[in-house]
Amino acid sequence: MQALPSTSLTDSPHALRPRVWGWVLLAPMLAWLVLFVLVPMAILLVYSFCTRDDLGRVVFEFTFENYQRVFDPIYLRILGRSIGYAALTTGICLLMGYPVAWFIARQRENVRNWLLLLVMIPFWTSFLIRTYAWMTILKGNGLLSGLLLSAGVIPAPLEILYTPAAAIIGLVYAYLPFMILPIYGSAEKLDNALVEAAHDLGAGPVRAFSEVIVPLTWPGIAAGILLVFVPAIGMFAITDLMGGARVPMIGNVIHNQFIKAGNQPFGAALGIIFTLMFVVAYTLAQRRGRSSHP
Amino acid sequence: MLKTSTSRLSPPSGLRLLNLGFGVWTALVFVFLYLPIFVLVVYSFNTSRLNILWEGFTLRWYLEIADNVRIIRALKNSLIVASFTTLASVIIGTAGAWLLHRYRYRFSRTIQTLICVPMIMPEIVLGVSLLVFFTVVGLELGYLTVILAHVTFCFPFVLVAVQARLQGLDPSLEEAAMDLGASPLKAFWLVIIPCLRPAIVSGALMAFTLSMDELIVTVFTSGLGSATLPTVVFGMAKIGLNPMLNALSAVFVVTTIAFVLFSNHLKKLSAR
Amino acid sequence: MKPIRLLPLLAIAAVFATAARAADKELNLYAWSEYIPQTVLDGFTKETGIKVNYETFSSGEEMLAKLLAGGTRYDLIQPPDYVAEALIKNKLLVPLDYKKLPNFKNLLPEFTKMPHDPAQKFTVPYMAGTVGIVVNTEKIKEPVAGYKDLFSARYKDRIVVLDDGRELVVGAFYTQGIGLNDITPATLEKARPILTAWFKNIKLFDSDSPKTALLNGDVDLGLVWSGEAAILWNENKKFHYVLPSEGVHMFVDVLAIPKGSRNQSAAHAFLDYLLRPDVSALISEEFPYTNPNGEARKLLTPEQLANPASYPKTDRKLDTFRHLGTSGALIDELFTDLKNTK
Repeated sequence: MQALPSTSLTDSPHALRPRVWGWVLLAPMLAWLVLFVLVPMAILLVYSFCTRDDLGRVVFEFTFENYQRVFDPIYLRILGRSIGYAALTTGICLLMGYPVAWFIARQRENVRNWLLLLVMIPFWTSFLIRTYAWMTILKGNGLLSGLLLSAGVIPAPLEILYTPAAAIIGLVYAYLPFMILPIYGSAEKLDNALVEAAHDLGAGPVRAFSEVIVPLTWPGIAAGILLVFVPAIGMFAITDLMGGARVPMIGNVIHNQFIKAGNQPFGAALGIIFTLMFVVAYTLAQRRGRSSHP
Repeated sequence: MLKTSTSRLSPPSGLRLLNLGFGVWTALVFVFLYLPIFVLVVYSFNTSRLNILWEGFTLRWYLEIADNVRIIRALKNSLIVASFTTLASVIIGTAGAWLLHRYRYRFSRTIQTLICVPMIMPEIVLGVSLLVFFTVVGLELGYLTVILAHVTFCFPFVLVAVQARLQGLDPSLEEAAMDLGASPLKAFWLVIIPCLRPAIVSGALMAFTLSMDELIVTVFTSGLGSATLPTVVFGMAKIGLNPMLNALSAVFVVTTIAFVLFSNHLKKLSAR
Repeated sequence: MKPIRLLPLLAIAAVFATAARAADKELNLYAWSEYIPQTVLDGFTKETGIKVNYETFSSGEEMLAKLLAGGTRYDLIQPPDYVAEALIKNKLLVPLDYKKLPNFKNLLPEFTKMPHDPAQKFTVPYMAGTVGIVVNTEKIKEPVAGYKDLFSARYKDRIVVLDDGRELVVGAFYTQGIGLNDITPATLEKARPILTAWFKNIKLFDSDSPKTALLNGDVDLGLVWSGEAAILWNENKKFHYVLPSEGVHMFVDVLAIPKGSRNQSAAHAFLDYLLRPDVSALISEEFPYTNPNGEARKLLTPEQLANPASYPKTDRKLDTFRHLGTSGALIDELFTDLKNTK
């Protein structure tokens, strides 16, 4: 596998073979990953083969039972739902966020930083207060409903709070900045002259956009998709509050094993399988990404 | 088709039209982002302690913020944790992204995957396993453990943002600098860092925000006296999230905006 | 070179973490969030000079997980009754020294020697409450007496319930005459069809603040903690609280000293302080739960005592939860399954 010339996402053709210094400099990050990602994962792996006592303490007694339960179709359905919500959220975030990132990147430098900060500042308020503010807007006799009623758009009070639609609104709101910021990071370096050159060659704005701009900002788009889609799969606090907690997400199921059911070994098994599925999917995506861009 | 033909008549205006459209779109997205913030600020003047229905106007909550020791302390903790987390995440994330770009490591794909694992790990799983780990190595729960935990899920965001920026970066930049006699470190500092700055700023903002807002991992890794604002706020839902929390958020947002405006202004003055 | 700068930073953070603690003048308290008023903590510090370090949790299981991990030494904890029972069974609590608790006599007898601590050796009740039905009488004109009325099809999409599998399962048990702690695969199978029908009518699940949806008018009925109902009643008298006719679950949050406590005398001092009538009445002012302190009740206003959610007028026997052990997982499995197939 290491024989392949370019293996990682970021390999550039100019990448060097690391000598001593390359490894020394990378060491702190590697140590961090080992200590705070690999070791905890190993602890979980051990837990997932254990049983528990009546107080919920882990008992080191080997069992496969936790893994037998993980593959119950019910959990697959829940996982499917979580992935569906996350995918929809990612799609909407991309549509909403791309033009914003592009627009910000076209401004003068101090305006750019200023706008970027403005994107993020709403999220420095408390999560719960923000979510309750959304509920005030979306509730049956709330702001949005009142506005639409008085404009005559809808005949009866809006019943959107505590539905999947409200959950999606909440998710999109929460993750939008994580789409805008990475795209901005890669759109900022595009030269205005380049875009105009594409234009001068006879491409209309739509073609210039889709054939020049989008491909050039693709690394940012891919990063944005990664930063929105992946965390959104495990999200459940927003879906519970705004969607009414009527359907479980994979995040709920895992969370509840630790917090409600007192079943840490099963929670650990779910966590391990969930993480492994991600690792496999991510690795496949990396390979395909490589082979399509030789 | 239609757009193409009109733009052919007057090439620059087509582009301007696109920019204008994006500008309007951006304005709308900002309305979406600030709508709940507007509601939140309005409700900070609510007389109702439960703050679910609007009852009347008062300034009382703004005066009460200063008296609430627990909230002030939690906010202070959040700021301490988020600042250290951001600093550490930016250093680890930027250095990591650059090294993975610059050098072709063995296992670099495995390292890359491992970096993304904290983003997928459910918070409870990360929180509980880190709690066990910290207890086993005998680290007392406190600021340090919270910061260690936060950096673990924050630095991947910085790293991914910087990587996106690095892709397609002109490799001759660094070589040119080195040809002019700069040491690799100096070349990195003087040439690469400025070029990566937009992505570093993006990454830092994301790390700071994630850390400020994190609840579950914090609950499991914090100790006596190191609880952050989200943990306190979450506990308050039971007796009602009183408008003081809105007032606190409002003050925080307004101060930040004022501070940034002020520092921009100062920069302009000093540049003169 | 850059990453190496991290080390001194971490060292600075470590200094924060291990700020010197004078052990005998500090009390490490691990309690429900927002359950002990700041004024009470301040009053105690003023009187005794003992500083209270208050760490919070928001569920009994969360508390258990962190307590058992042993990362922090707590001097005093505040478990719900059934968790206290488990801790007693596993010999994880320190017996109380009643000589240091002269105010213990203020408690009403029905709140001592309860099933979780039958010998009354380890726990002091803090506040109690029930699970019952809130009715918005402006919208619901018919009487709602119990679980069967609440979950009738005519209230479809007008109900909020606690997002808590055990409370709902117990409700279904009551309608079938099954004891509330009799949780086995067989009894759960009996509850399943009933819950399946109930779940079709529920608009939302919320344990943290079911009052929000009721006050907003998004739902008109609720199965909630009595504390939530008491707050609703204080806000608007149209919200009536009903103890379900089929059976009532009562919970008691207690205080106890865990093994490993380094400052047991401060823990006792704080316990006795909380048992003082004036202090206990102060807590009732902030949190409208049922106060088990008889002397403190005498200090409450007639309006506080008239709150039907805090002090329901009933002579029925109220049931309490017992520790479930591993069968808690069965409830969670059923609950997830029901939500998923709804």
